[in-house]
Amino acid sequence: MMAIRELKVCLLGDTGVGKSSIVCRFVQDHFDHNISPTIGASFMTKTVPCGNELHKFLIWDTAGQERFHSLAPMYYRGSAAAVIVYDITKQDSFHTLKKWVKELKEHGPENIVMAIAGNKCDLSDIREVPMKDAKEYAESIGAIVVETSAKNAVNIEELFQGISRQIPPLDPHENGNNGAIKLGKQTSQTGRRCC
Amino acid sequence: MKKGLKSGVCSLTTPGNLVESNPNSNSNNGASAKEKDVISSSGELENVQLKPSRDASRKKLCGYLNKLGIKGPIKTWKSRWFFYDENKCNLLYYRTAQDINPLGSIDLSSASFDCKVENGEGVFEIRTPSRVFTLKAISNQAMMYWLQQLQMRRWEFLHSPVDQGRAQAGCGVDNEDFLPLVKTPTEAVGLKAASLPAPQTSTALQNISLKHPWTEIQNTVHNICGSKQLWGNNGNVFTFSEFQEHPENPDEEQEAEVEAGCGGRMDSRLNWVRKARWMNSGFPGLPEELSRERNPMDKVSVLQQQILTLTEEVKSQKELVKLLHKALEAAQQEKRVSSMYLTAAEDKDRLELVRHKVRQIADLSSRLEALEQEKKELEQILTLRDSHIQELKEHVQLLMEKNHAKQEVIMALTEQMAREQSDPLQEANTITVETLYKQQEEIEHLKDDIEAYKTQNQFLNSEIHQVTRLWTNVAENEKALLMKCACLQAQSCQMESKYLTVLRKLQEAVPGLPSSHAELVRNLIQEALQWDVKEKAEEGFNLNPVSEYDEYGFMTVPEYEVEDWKLLAKIQALEIKSNNLRSQEVVEKPLRDRWNSIGELSPSVELKSLIRSGIPVEHRQRVWRWIVSRHCSHQPDHYQRLLQQSKSTEHPACRQIELDLPRTLTNNKHFSSPTSQLIPKLRRVLLAFSWHNPAIGYCQGLNRLAAIALLVLEDEESAFWCLVHIVENLMPADYYSDTLITSQVDQRVFRDFLSEKLPRLMAHFEHYRIDVSLITFNWFLVVFVDSLVSDILLRVWDAFLYEGTKVIFRYALAIFKYNEEEILRIHDSVEIYQYLRFFTRMIMDGRKLMSIAFNDLNPFPMKLLKNRRSMHREELEAELCELEQIKAAYVKERAEQGPQNLKEAVSEEEEEI
Repeated sequence: MMAIRELKVCLLGDTGVGKSSIVCRFVQDHFDHNISPTIGASFMTKTVPCGNELHKFLIWDTAGQERFHSLAPMYYRGSAAAVIVYDITKQDSFHTLKKWVKELKEHGPENIVMAIAGNKCDLSDIREVPMKDAKEYAESIGAIVVETSAKNAVNIEELFQGISRQIPPLDPHENGNNGAIKLGKQTSQTGRRCC
Repeated sequence: MKKGLKSGVCSLTTPGNLVESNPNSNSNNGASAKEKDVISSSGELENVQLKPSRDASRKKLCGYLNKLGIKGPIKTWKSRWFFYDENKCNLLYYRTAQDINPLGSIDLSSASFDCKVENGEGVFEIRTPSRVFTLKAISNQAMMYWLQQLQMRRWEFLHSPVDQGRAQAGCGVDNEDFLPLVKTPTEAVGLKAASLPAPQTSTALQNISLKHPWTEIQNTVHNICGSKQLWGNNGNVFTFSEFQEHPENPDEEQEAEVEAGCGGRMDSRLNWVRKARWMNSGFPGLPEELSRERNPMDKVSVLQQQILTLTEEVKSQKELVKLLHKALEAAQQEKRVSSMYLTAAEDKDRLELVRHKVRQIADLSSRLEALEQEKKELEQILTLRDSHIQELKEHVQLLMEKNHAKQEVIMALTEQMAREQSDPLQEANTITVETLYKQQEEIEHLKDDIEAYKTQNQFLNSEIHQVTRLWTNVAENEKALLMKCACLQAQSCQMESKYLTVLRKLQEAVPGLPSSHAELVRNLIQEALQWDVKEKAEEGFNLNPVSEYDEYGFMTVPEYEVEDWKLLAKIQALEIKSNNLRSQEVVEKPLRDRWNSIGELSPSVELKSLIRSGIPVEHRQRVWRWIVSRHCSHQPDHYQRLLQQSKSTEHPACRQIELDLPRTLTNNKHFSSPTSQLIPKLRRVLLAFSWHNPAIGYCQGLNRLAAIALLVLEDEESAFWCLVHIVENLMPADYYSDTLITSQVDQRVFRDFLSEKLPRLMAHFEHYRIDVSLITFNWFLVVFVDSLVSDILLRVWDAFLYEGTKVIFRYALAIFKYNEEEILRIHDSVEIYQYLRFFTRMIMDGRKLMSIAFNDLNPFPMKLLKNRRSMHREELEAELCELEQIKAAYVKERAEQGPQNLKEAVSEEEEEI
């Protein structure tokens, strides 16, 4: 039987860019135009196979409004990965994305895998953020970048598969829980600091 | 008729002693004044004899009765003399009392008596085996007398050989049992009646019995003969006393008279006939009267009268004698003159005499003439006087007539006046008299009606009684059935929810099941989830266990795309329904009654407890308005001004508001549609609020609060003020402002309360590194909207709006306590988070939750909450301050060291802290 690795993933990004929709599409393979705005955070899980492992994503979806940023450390602490979402039709959301990257760099866990998702690629007609800008920025910070559409289920699976690939494989000398323990340790540390 | 008889009987019974003065019978008999005396004296005699004694039976029973003829085409009443023959017990009847041969006899020994009141007064019947005799007495009283006497005689006859005294007594007793003995109607019965004329006015011819012609002739002959004798006897004054000595034996007397008349006294006949004739002319009817008189006083008076008459006769005889004397004297003088003339010798003398005579004659002639003259004059005067008298008479007549006329006028006027004076009374009297009978009749009818109505009323009353009982039974049955129905529904819901739970468990086990089983489970789940739709389509009435939307438009089963959630939601909906159905009668109804009895709202302990129990849907809006208006001093134009402001200037929060509007309460039908009326209202409320409170502007979550307010209050201005009330009055300051600092403080406070109230659970959470604030943060920020099902949510809100944030703490703790055991069974952090994600939706029993929140968690002092809040706020502010300092230091350091050391520095800092 394959080993299950629990990976904490948090979704960050400006309000209304589609964080919850991406999670909904990924976990439930469902899209709702008017999914309720996330207050605080919401939690979902999904298990996907990756190589000889099963990655169980523990996804923390956060609220996008700026005044909820102060809560973000609760969610991103101890995270193995962060999905930072922007709306390709809104330049502002790309700016917000940069802020989040900066915060993660400053206060986020060490070695956190960052994935940039340019959502609403189905609306490329009214695109404000060129693909090129996103790619360049992603390269500069060493992040995965992908344009997605939660509505049309474009690149959602790929996004998480990319994250899975970025997660370093387990140290052969340690058992499968090691990563989780390590993450847990970090969590407690950041917790003390931020909250 | 019956009444008449009864009253007659009554009058018979009332006079206790019939012997004494009897004005009734006296006035009834109509006899002449003279006879009255006789009757009263003889009546006493007879009444004494009425005593049941042998003397009474000795008394002869006889009298006149009318007998109805049975033969012939016309039945007529014939007067008959009835006489009871004691020896043979026969009632004999004669045409008159004087007859010797009876016309017929009635055998009483085998007869029965009958009186038919309807036949008329005094009519009774004697029924013998062979014939029915219909007889008529002059009155009912007489009839009763006859009947009683006949009964008595019959009794005596039939019992005479044994013991008459005892029989008599028995008879008396018998009579007393039914009717009192009737006083003898002396005028109609008894021997005395024989001397009276037959009471009937009919002619003698009518009385003649055609049936017994021979007897009739015999009787007639005898009567003629007898009446001659009688007449003769009566005329003889000297035999009167003799006659009086035998009044009770007229027959024997008659016999005797006949013998006497035919025998010794024949020679003196001429004498007394002449005398009698003379006397008859002088005293007509006297002998008859005398013959009847028994009273000596009367006899004397009659004799005195006779004396007077005789004296007068003597006087007139004397005068006659005087006249005759005068005539004799004149004749003697004439004789003397004539003898003188004859004796005169000479012619001269004779001539002288003749001359003298002539002179005398002439003188007489002249005197005659003069007298005639005088007479004529007198006649003339007389005629004059006569005419004068005539005139005077006429005049008198005239005056009389006048007077009469005047009197008539006076009478008329007087009558008129009297009528006018006593008009109403008279009128009433007239009416009474005229309509008395009618009214009595009417009264009778009305009485009948009353009786009928009484019966009817009684019947209807019983009917009403019965129907009411039936109705009560039916109502009770209905109630019981409804209860049963609710119970069954609840059971059904529970069964269904259990079934769904089983399905859910199976679903979880699907990966381990054989493919065919997995397929079956999947199908069953699909089927179960589609039940609602199917049922609605097929039945279309409210027995459907779970309706799609509740009264506020919330979907009872939210549309989760994950089947797992759908199942859970449905299970919960079913459970809630089942709980509600169960508590409907026992809990909800009394609460509803209490709410209905509340008029003016005023803060009180009772109201608090009522509100905690949840406000019924029909009262919620009113109560919420009242709560909001208590805390917000309404400025009338404030909201409108804010709206104007939001129209003219775009608030920075506008973008976020627009973004959130379509995403508000998506499981409520009033908000899920983009064309819904509530969305523009919600926009205006949120924009107005962002202008009203620029420090907060708009915070995600306020949309939900405003939406709930709109759903309940409907009016957007009220919803606005409700939002203001929540944000500015209930929640601590800075709850929704930039850093949400007090919201974060409350999470720490809550953690403290959780440790205090649920230490086991808190230990469990700490063991699995569960940060409950990840879950509970939004409970506090939006007061459970989207966490609790609408039914429970609104109850929480009722209490929250009235009491404040402590209610949120209570309920948040209660939610954990409600599910404590369940959580304690989970031993995996991810599982716990998974569970906490939806466990608010697993709360089925709102009442239980309420009870935990307000009872089990006590004491819950506000002071403690305040203290913890201020303590944690200080802590948090200190931490934030420290963080800022660290940040600032880091930025400074990074600027000095350059980008390559960035990562290391950060990690170092983190480790340090």
